[in-house]
Amino acid sequence: MPSFFLLNVHLQPGMPADEMLRAARRFGYTAICVYNSNNNNEVIMPSRNLNPYIYMGIEIRTDSISELKRKLRHYWSRVPLIAVHGGEEKINMAAVKDYRVDVLTHPCGEKWKGKELKHQILMLKYAAKNGIAIEFNLNPIIKSRRGERVRILKRLHENLKLIRKYHVMPLLTTNNRSIYDLRAPREMIALASLCGMEREEAIMALSEIPAGILTRRWKKGREVEQL
Amino acid sequence: MREKRRYLLFEAICDGEVGKHELQNAIWDSIYSLYGDTGASESRLWLVNYDSGIGIGVLRCAHRTVEKVRAALACIHSVDGVRTAIRVIRVSGTLKGAGARTRMKAGALKR
Repeated sequence: MPSFFLLNVHLQPGMPADEMLRAARRFGYTAICVYNSNNNNEVIMPSRNLNPYIYMGIEIRTDSISELKRKLRHYWSRVPLIAVHGGEEKINMAAVKDYRVDVLTHPCGEKWKGKELKHQILMLKYAAKNGIAIEFNLNPIIKSRRGERVRILKRLHENLKLIRKYHVMPLLTTNNRSIYDLRAPREMIALASLCGMEREEAIMALSEIPAGILTRRWKKGREVEQL
Repeated sequence: MREKRRYLLFEAICDGEVGKHELQNAIWDSIYSLYGDTGASESRLWLVNYDSGIGIGVLRCAHRTVEKVRAALACIHSVDGVRTAIRVIRVSGTLKGAGARTRMKAGALKR
């Protein structure tokens, strides 16, 4: 059985990362990566890494490209994972053009109101070239019902086709904010099959791809200083 | 002809207490919503047992629909307004196989 990694974990104020790790391990994950950002777009740096199975990543949320560049310059080589909260086309494009970014989260916007991936082909080509993973957030499938879920599944199907065509790395997450948002790897594989993902692809998106991101396997010759 | 069955031992991690009937309704709602009437009927779903005290239960389904049932269980995020996450601990071909694990787990939790 491969080692599964849970990325895109957001901790609620007052919830220790160790508690989330304990719950995640009960669900079958090996390690978690906590995205350390708050609502004011300010990033709280961890004082020290307490547990080797907890990675402290950064999710950059910004509306301007210059701000994104500044934050990337600041956090590059300080954290094991840099994610960019996408949605707007210009931010998506700026993020995937930069090799320092590891993951592009919410490429179609948090509420799926952004531009569809089929209109962002160039962005996908850059993501494949620079080894940037595109997040496949399964949380909307869990939280929505009926017509809304149908629309989301349709868009996920389309996104998956494009991701396969342009050889971009998909990353399966559920955008965890509490232990009640956790889903076990096998359940994630079953959910991913709803949007047409093969079992092997889903296992890769939960194990090899996140492991490769955290160890910078996809960024050849660009080592990062571990905290 | 008798169709093959699978027994899913599952754990419901809830924010509060959830009763057997509420959970059963939530599971049925989820499978109806995801696969429709035909999919739900093919799954031959039945909640055999659920202990609300420890949050562990056994669910029976047709052996071909285990993955569908897994997906439906993963889609449950709240039961009667109580935040819930369900994880499948084990899939067994016999009730005895799943039940033994229930007893073991219950014993481990009481200790």
